Amino acid sequence: MADGGDPRVLVRVDGLKMHFPIHEGLLRRQAGSVKAVDDISFEIFEGETLGLVGESGCGKSTAGRTILRLYQPTEGVIEIDGRDISTLEGTALRDLRPTMQMIFQDPQASLNPRMTVGSIIAEPLSEHHAMNATDRRNKVYELLDAVGLNRDFANRYPHEFSGGQRQRIGIARALALNPKFIVCDEPIAALDVSIQAQVVNLLEDLQEKLGLTYLFISHDLSMVRHLATRVAVMYLGKIVELAPRDALYNDPKHPYTQALLSAVPNPDPKTEAVRERIILTGDVPSPANPPQGCNFCTRCPKVMDRCRVEEPTWRDLGQGRYAACHLLEDA
Amino acid sequence: MFTYTLRRLAFAVPTLLIISFIIFVILDMAPNDPTASLPLTIPPEVRQQIRDALGLDQPMPIRYFKWCVQFFWNEPVNLIEQWTGWTIGDSESRLRVISWQTRSPVVDLIAERMPQTLWVVGMSYVVGILIAIPIGVISAYKQYSWFDQFGTLFSMAGFSVPTFFTGLLFIVIFSVNLQWFPSVYDTTHRVTDWDSFWFQVRQMIMPVMVLALFNASQISRFMRASMLDNLQQDYVRTARAKGLRERAVLLIHVLRNSMIPVVTVIALGVPQIFGGAIITEQIFRVNGLGQLLIVGIQSADIPLVQTLTFIFAVLIVLFNLVADVLYGILDPRIRYD
Amino acid sequence: MRLTHLLGTAVVLALGASAAMAERGADGQLNIIYWQAPSTMNPFLSGGTKEVEAASMVLEPLASYDQDGNIVPRLVEQLPTVENGGVAADLTSITWKIKPGILWSDGTPFTANDAVFTWQYCTHPEGGCSQSSYFDGVTSVEAVDDLTVKVIFAEPKPYPYTAFAGSESPVLQAAQFADCLGAKAPECTDANFGPIGTGPFVVTDFKPNDVISLEANPNYREADKPAFGSVLFKGGGDAASAARSVLETGEFDYAWNLQIEPEILTQMEAAGKGSVVVSFQTSVERLHLNQTNADSGLSAEERSVYNDGNNPHPFLTDPEVGKALSMAIDRELLVEVGYGKTGQVTCNVLPAPELYASTANDGCKTQDLEGAKAVLDAAGWVPGGDGVREKDGVRLSVLYQTSTNSVRQGTQALIKQWWNELGVEVELRNIDASVFFGGDPASPDTFQKFYADIEMYTNNFSGADPEAYMANWRCSEIPGPGTQWQGSNIQRFCKPEYDALVDEMAKTADLATRGELAKAMNDMIIQEYSIIPLIHRGGTSAHANTLGGVKMTDWDSELWNIADWHRVE
Repeated sequence: MADGGDPRVLVRVDGLKMHFPIHEGLLRRQAGSVKAVDDISFEIFEGETLGLVGESGCGKSTAGRTILRLYQPTEGVIEIDGRDISTLEGTALRDLRPTMQMIFQDPQASLNPRMTVGSIIAEPLSEHHAMNATDRRNKVYELLDAVGLNRDFANRYPHEFSGGQRQRIGIARALALNPKFIVCDEPIAALDVSIQAQVVNLLEDLQEKLGLTYLFISHDLSMVRHLATRVAVMYLGKIVELAPRDALYNDPKHPYTQALLSAVPNPDPKTEAVRERIILTGDVPSPANPPQGCNFCTRCPKVMDRCRVEEPTWRDLGQGRYAACHLLEDA
Repeated sequence: MFTYTLRRLAFAVPTLLIISFIIFVILDMAPNDPTASLPLTIPPEVRQQIRDALGLDQPMPIRYFKWCVQFFWNEPVNLIEQWTGWTIGDSESRLRVISWQTRSPVVDLIAERMPQTLWVVGMSYVVGILIAIPIGVISAYKQYSWFDQFGTLFSMAGFSVPTFFTGLLFIVIFSVNLQWFPSVYDTTHRVTDWDSFWFQVRQMIMPVMVLALFNASQISRFMRASMLDNLQQDYVRTARAKGLRERAVLLIHVLRNSMIPVVTVIALGVPQIFGGAIITEQIFRVNGLGQLLIVGIQSADIPLVQTLTFIFAVLIVLFNLVADVLYGILDPRIRYD
Repeated sequence: MRLTHLLGTAVVLALGASAAMAERGADGQLNIIYWQAPSTMNPFLSGGTKEVEAASMVLEPLASYDQDGNIVPRLVEQLPTVENGGVAADLTSITWKIKPGILWSDGTPFTANDAVFTWQYCTHPEGGCSQSSYFDGVTSVEAVDDLTVKVIFAEPKPYPYTAFAGSESPVLQAAQFADCLGAKAPECTDANFGPIGTGPFVVTDFKPNDVISLEANPNYREADKPAFGSVLFKGGGDAASAARSVLETGEFDYAWNLQIEPEILTQMEAAGKGSVVVSFQTSVERLHLNQTNADSGLSAEERSVYNDGNNPHPFLTDPEVGKALSMAIDRELLVEVGYGKTGQVTCNVLPAPELYASTANDGCKTQDLEGAKAVLDAAGWVPGGDGVREKDGVRLSVLYQTSTNSVRQGTQALIKQWWNELGVEVELRNIDASVFFGGDPASPDTFQKFYADIEMYTNNFSGADPEAYMANWRCSEIPGPGTQWQGSNIQRFCKPEYDALVDEMAKTADLATRGELAKAMNDMIIQEYSIIPLIHRGGTSAHANTLGGVKMTDWDSELWNIADWHRVE
């Protein structure tokens, strides 16, 4: 981090797997599983923003939801603030909810259409804090102020707002319990480009003011470059590369990261002119039936025979860089 | 919303007038004769006299006009007189809608039949809803569990087995073999104390349950589908992320939203209660509005059938409006202007 | 209350069963179920059997019929006859002497004026009285004094027991119905639903088409009757469930008109709670053979129109064809399959009372297919290439229709099978009863229009005198476009000799001679084969084994002697 001190780990994920069973036939026997998240490990430091990028369907949203225990993970450890929450249930889990919150991709669908904005924001307060009605109302006003919304909006319903306003409501709701850690699941993907910047700036301001830690899930590489401290790249349920932002963007190590970044237009006309796009061929394999060996072997431009047999290991490349690729072993 | 309701009501008036005319024309064209059910020993001349005395010798438009006057003016005036005790005009010679078969005012017949129909058919609707909602909720929440499979079987059976079969089955089991419940509903029974209340419960159980099973099977499917729809919505995940108890997530967020379409379906079904349940009323001899209608049809009692069907039409139009208004109240996204 | 009841029971037990009948109302409640519910208690405003029977508990005629079809005095001291001077020697009037001391249920005396009023009520031109045919030929009804009613006829009336005889012609109370004459009749709802009568019961609550509550008439003329203190008369449902409620669940004491499959009835009776009773009157299920041409190619002015005999049926006017059709039928089997003990084989259209029943046609009781074929062969009807008999280019092919009813369709199928064997082509058709019997002149499907070669239904007559019934088949009664298809001579039978017999009967008072005349008319219709009788049908009812005194009759209301009904152990 900026001050160079040893950063504290807030979130630690180790060997996390999230497999969804597939039922088939008359008796609905389990016939297999979708390996949406398949053995991922990383850490998030307090106060930082970890960007999680990848194509649609690579499992990044599932990863975010699993970390917040909206799903019951199949395997692995999730530690938040040093406490393993991967197997918590019921009240114990609910008591931890205030520390971790989520901002959702679709602000329209994620707000209950039959509740007013005020009650949406206040509901977690009455669930988790013994607060009287006046205090609750004041807190709601405070939160509305914080996200830049008019206090009068408290009595309105979500459908009366624009997309950007709804996302602000979603943020206010997430902030209500003073969380330390927020998973932002593509929070700007559904918004107009003009609104995206406003919401991103709001998120940055809030992080600065409240010392929040973000897991920022997005497929928008430029936005992640703008926001993130470090970036993790996911492909077919696995993290293929994780590195500090500048290192990753300037010198991607994994062939997949290289391919992804080659598709991003560069603001500098000089480099943009010489940018060489790497076009990936073929479709992403189904997570229900991933290829043998390296998950990326079916599309990798640098594929080797070994890749089709042996799965590459997750290796530390030094300077906070990690990647999983057989090519890097030789280097 | 208020102006919307008023406008809808205003539109309903011409619609209903046209409906009443269509009903009248259809009944008039139907090949039936009020003297057809009389024994063949009554000679044709006497039959003709009976038809003339019923006013059947007049042309159709005049008969329709007379019915309109009787139903839309005389009957309401008569109602007002009965409620207030006033005398408006010449109440002695004011003609009411008279049933051909019983020669008594149709509206009085309907009023007499209303209690048992509301008790039995209405209760069955309430019981059906009370059974259906938990089944629908649990089936959806535990989709594909054994409970859900059982619920599916239950509603398939309830929907596809006709009430005349279940009714008969109930009678054979509970009346003939076990002798628990009476097979014939006593409409003269009055509830005055615990014993008579218990008798009323016993005589209502079978018809109510037969109809309730049928109603529940439909509503539980609606409930289940609507719950499944809402369970997959993002706001449910939001609610879980808020750290709400699962019960609160289910009952406050999912159930409330799922109830919107179900409530409208329930409201749209209310006119059926007033329509009675023709078959079930016949089987258990509840003799409510459904039986009144079928007897009226069998004996070609046109004023009775016309009035009853028209009242059903009014109720259907009305409850369509109620369903729309309820939708507007329950779902803040809907606005009528 | 409970204690006195117990004491009462103890006393009754001590005194024996006969004492149980000695007190009015001692036997508690009687539960009756009529699966077709009565719509009014005024039999003059609805001619339906159910209304007439319900009203017979309250309203009474001067004379009624017993279980054998004999006329018996009821509110009069004796039956007026020519011998006792009650009927005028020239047969133009009858004088009824009312028993003294009879009271209406409201306590006022029953007088001759009530009978006079009833005549006025039912013959009012705007009243639409269903029973007005009982006053046909009556020029006036006079009250000679308070207890003497004189009915005067326009012409000599050999059988004068029509007005005020039988449950369809009871007496109304003048005081109650005084303002209900003519067009006002339907407006008197209270009176129509709760008429004041002289009968054993009084209406306490009437719910049309549902239930009637009655209690014992405190002013009934016999102090110890009725034995039941109250009656619950429930309607609705269907015949099978009504039977079940008496025979299987025992909730009701008496169920009426149980037209259900015979084996089901037998099964229910096996439960041991009640018994089935059958009574035969004059109902006969019969085939009418159209004597006019019903060819669908004919115009509306010609099809099934008699046209003074100029439009005869191509082959059904040939008695030999009718004879063969009749011989081919196994009536025993029809009874067994469709009627059980509620039907009997008959060869007469007038099967009862005994005095009028012919025995000349009994040969039809056994089936003779070979004989039938021989009859057709002899008459020149020989099988054609397709097996259907023909003569001079006319094929024996019939359209055979009836009302929709499972028993009737079963009968149709059996008869078709026998006729096919005979070499007659048969097409079957069934029409909904409300249309078939509906009498709508615009409908092509009514039994009166008879747009078919053969049709089947049941008819009968009320009372015990067949004079009016046999007059149904006069030439003048043939339906046609000129009469809006009204008329009772459905098969379009016309024979001057027959009309002459009808006229003669109208002049004959002697019962034995009337019997001979009726038999002669019956035989003429049967032997001309314009009607083929099939089954003499009885009324079927069931009563609980704990109900005593039931004397089932089909000649009058089944409840004609309800005053004598009582509880037995």
